[in-house]
Amino acid sequence: MSVKGGYFRKRLHVNLSSGTTRVIELDEDFLERYIGGRGFGAKLVWENLKQHDFRIDPFGPENLLVVAPGPLTGAYLPSSGKNSFVSISPATGLYGDSSMGGGFAVELRQAGLDCLTIEGIAPELSLLFIDNGEARIIPMPQLRGKSCLETEGMVETRIGTHDIHVVTIGVAGENRVRFACANTDWSRNAGRTGIGAIMGSKNLKAIAVRGHKDLPVYDLDGLIAETNKAVQYMRGHKYFRFWQQQGLMNVIEYANDKGILPTWNFRDTVFPNHDKINGEVMLDRYKIGDSACFMCPMCCSNINLVKDGKYRGVVTEGPEYETCAMLGSNLGIDDFAAILAATQLCDELGVDTISTGNIVGAVIEGYERGIIGLEDLDGREIRWNDPDAVLELIGKIGRREGIGDILADGAKRIIQQWPEMDKVILHVKGLEQSAYDSRAGASMGLAYATCDIGAHHTRAWTIAREMEEGANWTNEDRVKIVVYHQTLRPLFDMLGVCRLPWIELGLNERHYAYFYTHITGKEATLEELLELSRRVYDMTRRMNVRLGATRKDDSLPYKVRECPVLSGPNAGKVLREDVFQDMLSAYYAKRGWNEDGVPPVELEATF
Amino acid sequence: MPKKVTVIPELCSGCRMCEMVCAIKHFHANNPKKSAIRVLITYPHPVVRMPIVCSQCKVPPCEDVCPVNAISRVDGRVRLDTSVCISCYHCVEACPFGAIYAHDDCDFPIKCDMCDGDPECVKHCPKGALRLIPAAALGESKRLNNILSYAQMKEIEFTQGGERKAIRYAEIGKEEI
Repeated sequence: MSVKGGYFRKRLHVNLSSGTTRVIELDEDFLERYIGGRGFGAKLVWENLKQHDFRIDPFGPENLLVVAPGPLTGAYLPSSGKNSFVSISPATGLYGDSSMGGGFAVELRQAGLDCLTIEGIAPELSLLFIDNGEARIIPMPQLRGKSCLETEGMVETRIGTHDIHVVTIGVAGENRVRFACANTDWSRNAGRTGIGAIMGSKNLKAIAVRGHKDLPVYDLDGLIAETNKAVQYMRGHKYFRFWQQQGLMNVIEYANDKGILPTWNFRDTVFPNHDKINGEVMLDRYKIGDSACFMCPMCCSNINLVKDGKYRGVVTEGPEYETCAMLGSNLGIDDFAAILAATQLCDELGVDTISTGNIVGAVIEGYERGIIGLEDLDGREIRWNDPDAVLELIGKIGRREGIGDILADGAKRIIQQWPEMDKVILHVKGLEQSAYDSRAGASMGLAYATCDIGAHHTRAWTIAREMEEGANWTNEDRVKIVVYHQTLRPLFDMLGVCRLPWIELGLNERHYAYFYTHITGKEATLEELLELSRRVYDMTRRMNVRLGATRKDDSLPYKVRECPVLSGPNAGKVLREDVFQDMLSAYYAKRGWNEDGVPPVELEATF
Repeated sequence: MPKKVTVIPELCSGCRMCEMVCAIKHFHANNPKKSAIRVLITYPHPVVRMPIVCSQCKVPPCEDVCPVNAISRVDGRVRLDTSVCISCYHCVEACPFGAIYAHDDCDFPIKCDMCDGDPECVKHCPKGALRLIPAAALGESKRLNNILSYAQMKEIEFTQGGERKAIRYAEIGKEEI
């Protein structure tokens, strides 16, 4: 059966160098095999790599940036406002993607597009405006140096309407900070793998979209019935209200309880002052409103305002767990207002909070250990729980001033500069690690090591299950669950929806196969969709192999292998290298890759 | 008693579920822009998420400006008769709240008809930011909130049965009048 609905079958291709745009028809085979989002992105980036003989400079005009929502994006189903940004990452030099919530993806779909691809470099700083499918490149050099939010406002003024959605980059993106993000709707970010830096390298400061079209849903009535069931389930969940109130901030308390909260640059996994930065504190003193992505009843995002004290007037959407942990406990900061100030600063500059928290934490530890000297720090000391110095350093990174110029190039460059920092900073393939400690759960270590974009939890987040039932797991179980997560979770990115209803409220993943069937008119089971997702994983792996990644790159950070957790429920734990290597071999075998982690070359013919 | 759709913007999360169910009900279309309720979001100054929907005014300015009398008030609801409407969009501009909408694909202005008394948006709002209440009860929560924030109210906390509670009272006779 073929795809009958769900797509406009249109890809807009923009060449910023020549200033030309064209619409490319998407064929049946492409739609069916790659679904959308990350699937489209991986395939198009793969084709582009082949064309350039697998030699691509992430900041060169040849690097293709794919912006792709999925067939489910913008449709009547819970949390359907996601799209993926896919490219060759400047942080890792390998495949990179990052997804973004908010309303931009829906607007892009309503403009009549399934996919947007951008190549080239604009002669001057520009805005790409897509009005109901028609694209225009508008030079706007006056946007230089503006923050994400200022840019959004100026773009709205330039277009003359509030009824658009805008993706912007901040100063960090312009400066090609290798972990700069793309930002929309105040503080929704495609945070990881340096998407903002790619936009900056293309002289593309903002993308604005306006769309009015109906989405081509094949069986709307079927979809409505399915969705009403799903939403009813979600609203009846015992944690639904709690989730609306605290959102992702509730994880701080959980992570601290379980001993997986990064503290003092991952030295420890419990934070003595966790009760000063958790969701309760936020609710009591800072929260002024909720914020949700399109069609999401869960509204996981919180709007916070600092009403008194030194940071009075700081207002931001967020932080969520990762941000609060990386800019809070990981830096020893126990003042929630200071975390909000740092979050706001990161949003303004447009830098990823996970990487920033990692790097700042590593600098603090490096200075403490004497690896980084005072003169390296431009004469400004930085210590644990030192918000002023942290804010200053984040500013320097965004603007590439002094030491910030080195830090802005990420983990790899930092290790090049100070080789000893290899033992301090946590990264895989050059991407700094997310805020779940992996010494407590070996499956999480494997998940980070084998994630195609680097040490991120997006592909597999097995830590919660491991904490609950991991005591009885064999390493074989761990491999199995990592592979299952790495197959299911990217499927959400391909469909263009958020995975939180599934992972947090336990919404059955089979709903998504029904959603897909109703929207596209193509009957598909979850297993069939998972198979497509698995093949995309093979593809991104082949891509990374072609770009030079080997088994050595699927590694554990030094700290995870060698430095035992100091205290808490997991005190003394490390993830031993030999245990990890065994798991890795089992993982490769399970995936059908060889001992070096290389998928068969014959697969390339099927991509 | 006629009921009204009221909006509590402090509760709105901006998820736009109301837009979607409105468009589905009236146009059978997956298009949040074909709706008679739209959420206006501004940030950070001010932080507002405001669903804007027809207030069913008793003296509707839209009715006044309609050149063909397509708009009339029946049973407490302001209705747009599309068999008479000429789509001049004067009503869209006349509405002081901007609560009547235009869409390129639609032949007529899009105006809330309260779904014959059982509005979809109210049923589906996951935050309870939209309520259907009798006109006489309008403003009640504001009044309540207002007395609670009354300047001279004092609060003491106490423990009862192991549970922390608070009681509020007005301090009498201590303030200079």
